Formats: sequence, structure tokens, C-alpha cells
Amino acid sequence: MTPTALSTVFTAIPLQASAQSPNTQFVIAVVLGLLFAIGTFLVLRRDVVRVVWGIAIISQATNMYLVTMGGIAGSVPILAHGATPDPATVSNPLVQALVLTAIVIGFGTTAFALVLTYRVYEEHGTIDLAELGAAPPESGVSAMTDSSIDGPEATGDGEPVTDDDGDTDRHGGPAGSTEVADD
Amino acid sequence: MTDLVVAPLLVALFTAIATLPLRSAQRVQQAVSVFGGVLYLVAVAALVRAVRVDADGYLVYELSNWEAPFGITLVADDLSVLMLGLAAVVSLAALVFSVRGIPEVGQRISYHPLYHLMVVGITGSFLTADVFNLFVWFEVMLMSSYVLVVFYSGPDETRAALHYAFLNLLGSAVMLLAIGGLYATTGTLNMADMAEYLATVPASQTTPVLGLSALLFAVFALKAGIVPFQFWVPDAYRAAPAPVAAMLAGVVKKVGVYAIVRLLFTVFSVAALPPGLFGENATFLAFYGPVLLVMAIGSVVVGGLGAVGREDLDGLLAYSSIGQVGFIVLPLAVAASAVPGAGAEIPREGLVTLGITAALVYSVNHGLAKSLLFFVSGALSRTLGTVRFDALGGVSERNPTLAGSFFVGALALIGIPPLSGFFGKLLVFDVGAQAGSTVVLAVALAGAILTIAYFTLAWSRGFWGPPSDAVAGASVDRSFVLVAAVLAVSIVVLGVGFGPLYDLSYAGAQAATETQGYVDAVLGGSQ
Repeated sequence: MTPTALSTVFTAIPLQASAQSPNTQFVIAVVLGLLFAIGTFLVLRRDVVRVVWGIAIISQATNMYLVTMGGIAGSVPILAHGATPDPATVSNPLVQALVLTAIVIGFGTTAFALVLTYRVYEEHGTIDLAELGAAPPESGVSAMTDSSIDGPEATGDGEPVTDDDGDTDRHGGPAGSTEVADD
Repeated sequence: MTDLVVAPLLVALFTAIATLPLRSAQRVQQAVSVFGGVLYLVAVAALVRAVRVDADGYLVYELSNWEAPFGITLVADDLSVLMLGLAAVVSLAALVFSVRGIPEVGQRISYHPLYHLMVVGITGSFLTADVFNLFVWFEVMLMSSYVLVVFYSGPDETRAALHYAFLNLLGSAVMLLAIGGLYATTGTLNMADMAEYLATVPASQTTPVLGLSALLFAVFALKAGIVPFQFWVPDAYRAAPAPVAAMLAGVVKKVGVYAIVRLLFTVFSVAALPPGLFGENATFLAFYGPVLLVMAIGSVVVGGLGAVGREDLDGLLAYSSIGQVGFIVLPLAVAASAVPGAGAEIPREGLVTLGITAALVYSVNHGLAKSLLFFVSGALSRTLGTVRFDALGGVSERNPTLAGSFFVGALALIGIPPLSGFFGKLLVFDVGAQAGSTVVLAVALAGAILTIAYFTLAWSRGFWGPPSDAVAGASVDRSFVLVAAVLAVSIVVLGVGFGPLYDLSYAGAQAATETQGYVDAVLGGSQ
């Protein structure tokens, strides 16, 4: 198939497919709208875990939106026995490859966001965004050479994490147990 | 020769992999990492030479030999290699700084692989000619930078990383939306193919593309930290280790700037706007010109005012970089407004090219000077444990070389001759004057005054006067002073011998506006 022919196939698909099944298109559009609404609602919560859920839902909704961009009603685009499928009746397979990539990336970022949430809980003793507040001035960057890095040992609920992103050198005593006062 | 395009990518990738299993041999790991940084610089230098001297401005590499609009294409042109050159210099300096500047446990566990993976993402973003591939490189870069921002994982760092990561995750979702929409409306993901298609679309049908391009633009502005997308900048830069902050401010920000220049001026400059809002026969850039101007004004003002009120050095530098990006966007706004109507070629010489040249020169200057300042701040923080102004003071007496380097970096951002920053500022003012825009000149002047104000504050509170108790008893590691001094000298050298940098930036600006040349190079197939 020549590049120009392929190009016609790719550009022609979305319009053709959308003309075939108005009902499916409508349902998916409504579902997408709902997903984005739920995601936005969750992102605006104060609970960090809910925010992570919100971001996960928004990125999944984005993936679904991407699939619809290739035309959802067509058939499988296989070149069987030399017969070229009619460009008007196949789905565009490229967006599905894009979505696979996006899903893998989304998997990684969601996992990281959850780990980060756990670290925030350990450091601040809360996952309420409004209560994170400013940390005491002597912590943070200055703690690097602060003489108090061998501070009180961790006691209570926050389990000290020892193999996590190189934190062990500076924060011997995780603040997770200390219930950071926010004002 | 086209294989050279992937050389920097492969060097950075293999260095990242090579440093992974070397945890137990720390010295070897550091040596491999720094050697990888040197090799990266060599690879980029070879690529610059190949593009500038041997090829006629474009080197095209088609991944797995898939033909251009269907496969992923990497393109090195004058604009890409200029940004790559900046990335190579700053990243090598940051690596040398890291060897002593990052706690040893941190280096052993994850620092070096993460750092090089971030460089991989940066390199890919500068080279790719495919919009979805740009998204992927952004993610590679961001994933590493999330971890690097939260590297020290104290209370401040986790909070800053939370904001940084969540904002950018939302940004990624928005970018995917824009890319999906662009694919559905233009039928292609290849930037050159998209530009060729958009040039043929009648003005009445481009409205959806305009909206989608604006979504994409918002994501790039988020990466570049331009007002109103600047919220994450101060916290993230303060939380990140100094060499990472230097990379974020010096190079990662410029990825956003590069993407704006590439997408707006190379791709969307050929698309015609529907008649009405911006007069007859306008292109997309007639819409983006005023938008960029407002954002630039906001950045200069917010960054400048924010920096004046800071009580610590790295907070001041972080706010300063918001203001300085405003100075980069300001000439871009003038250039966008100066683009002739749809269908007309952008002249090779003129206000558009000059505006982009000013933005590129300023980017390079800011990349070098701001990373230098973050190195000085990092050296002080590593030695003293704090960079609050009330604990600093008298560094110029205790360590004249380090303080002198800071002084050079600050003067470069203020714009004193003969430093490279002088020409950056001069070009910005020149663009404003040639456009006859009082607003641009007034904003640039106000920004320059604010820059002088906050660096005067920083200098007099942190570096002048009798040494404070903390400063008097401290001795700064030699490698920190060396890195800072080398960068300071390079800023002076670039300023005195300004010609080559100007030629490179000018060629980069021409490459950015030459849509037809880009399309021919990419779609003409591999040589």
C-alpha cells in the first residue's frame, strides 16, 4: 500500500465510523463526560488518596477518549490474503497502540503517586491536604547537615522505611510518628 | 551520518543502565556516571557539528526505518542542537557537582540512574518530530524528576513533590486529550505532516485545531512554569537537591520553551484562523501573540515581586526563574504577533526571527547563569546546612571564588556587559523597540529593575559584610567552587565572544520558522 493510500485510510476513518453508530458514540460520550466529572470532583478533595483516585480516573477517561478518536464501530484492520479491507469499515488501530503506551505510563505514575502519598503520611502524619502546612523551619533542605539528624527514634505507627529513595541518610527518625503540628 | 541523531539518546540511556548494577562500587559508579556525562557532551558536539557543517541544517533519523508520516521520526535541526548543547553543558556540570553534593547513600541507591534517565527524556523531547512521542519523552523526563524532587523525602520535600507530581500528572492527561483530538482532526501525529496538512485546510474549518493546540500550549506552559501555571515552581526547586534544581531551572524549563517554539512557530504558524476575531487572513499566532504577552507580563511581575520578598537564597532563585522565563516569553510574544498572514512565508530575516533569536539567547544565558546560582546555593546549603539570609553573610570574605561566581551569575541575569546576559537583555529590548511596543519595553524595564533589586538584596545580605558565625567556621568543598568557577568563566567567555552563540541562535530561530524546510526534510524521506 502506498503512503498516500494509507494516509487516506487513516484520515477517512473517524468520520466514516462515527456515521455508522450514533448510539454507541452517544453512550460513550456521556460516559466520558461522567468519568471526567467524577475525576475532577475527586481531584478537588482534601484527602490525598482521593486525589490520586481522581487522577487515575481522569487518565483512564483520557485513554477511553483516545480509543474513540480512532472510530469504535469498525472491524479489525487485517490485510487477509492480499485483500485490502475497505477503508470505510475498519477501525484505526494506531490509537489503540497509543492507548497501550499511555496505560503503561499511567500504571507507573499511579504507583508512584500512591508511594508518594504513603511517604507524605509518614512525614506529616496526615493525608489531609489542608493540614500538611509548612514544616518546622529547621527541617527540609537544611536538615542535610543539621546536627539533629540522629534525633529521637521512630516510635509508634510510622514504620521506618529503610530502602526508599535514599532517605535513610538524612532522616534517621521519620517524622511519621511525631504528628506534625500545623500551626 | 544520520545515526548520529540517536547518539546522545543512546549514550544517556546506556549510562543510566550501566550505573544501576554498580551500587556496591561507589567510586566506579560515580566515575561511570561522570564519564557518561562527558560522552554525552561529545555526542552532542558531534551532532552539532554534523548538523551545522556537514548536513544542510537537518539530520533525519527514522526509527526502525518506518517511513516518515507513519513511523516515529527524530530530527536534529539548528533549534534542537542549540537546546541539546545547553542541556549537555549544564548536565555535565550538575553531575560533577553531584559527586560531592549528594549524600553518598542517596547516590548509591538511585541518584545516578534517575539523573541519566531524566537526561534521556530531555534529549528525546528536543529531537522528536512526533507529537505522541513528545508525550512519551515528557513522561520519561517527568517520572525521573518526580523522584529527584522528592529525593531527600523530608516533610517539605514530600509536600513539594506531591504538588509537582499531581499537577504534572493532570498536565499529562490534558496533553493526551489534545494529542488524541489533534490526531482525529488532522489525521496525523507527525509534526511535519501536520504542518503540511494544516497549510491546506480552509480557514473556516480550523477552529477545533485551535482549541486543541491551546490545550497543548497550556501543558507546555506548565512545564516551563509560566504564569498562571507557576505554582509548583518555588516549592519544587527548593525541595530538589541543588544539582537537580539547576537542571530543572536550567534545562527542563527550556524543554517547555522549546516545545512552545517548535509547535507554535513550526507547526501552527501555517494554520489560518477563521475570519472574525483577529481580522482577515490571520494565522494561529495572531491568537497566541496576545496570550503569550499577557503570560510574559504576569511571569515577569510575579517572579520579580516574589523574589524580592524571599528570606532564603534558593527561594529567591526559584522565584527569579519564573521572572526570567517571562523574559524568554516576552520576545516570543512579539515574534508571534509579527507573523504575516496565512499563506505568506515568514521572512528569513525580520522581527519574527529576531524575536525567537532573543528568546533562544536568553534561554541559553538563563540556563547557564541560573544553574550556576543554584550550584552556589547548593554549595552553601551543603556546607552550612542552611541558605536563609539571616544565617548567611560575608561569604565574599570567606570564599571569594565562590562569591565571585555568584556575582558573575547574578550580573549575567541582570544583564551587565560583557557577560552573555547583556546580549540577551539587549536583544529583548531591541525586539520591543523594533516592534514599537511601549508595553513590552515597560515590562522589560520593570523586570530588569526587579532583577537588580533582588540580586542586590541577595548579595548584600548573603555575601557582603562581616562573615556570620556559621560562614566563618565553614570551608566549602573544592569541587563545588570549581564547578561554579568554570560556569562563571564560560558565561564571561560567551559574552566576550558572543558571535558564535548569536549565529547558532539565529540559525535556530530560522529553523523554527522555516516550516517548509522542516516538512521537506522530514517527509522527503531519509537521505
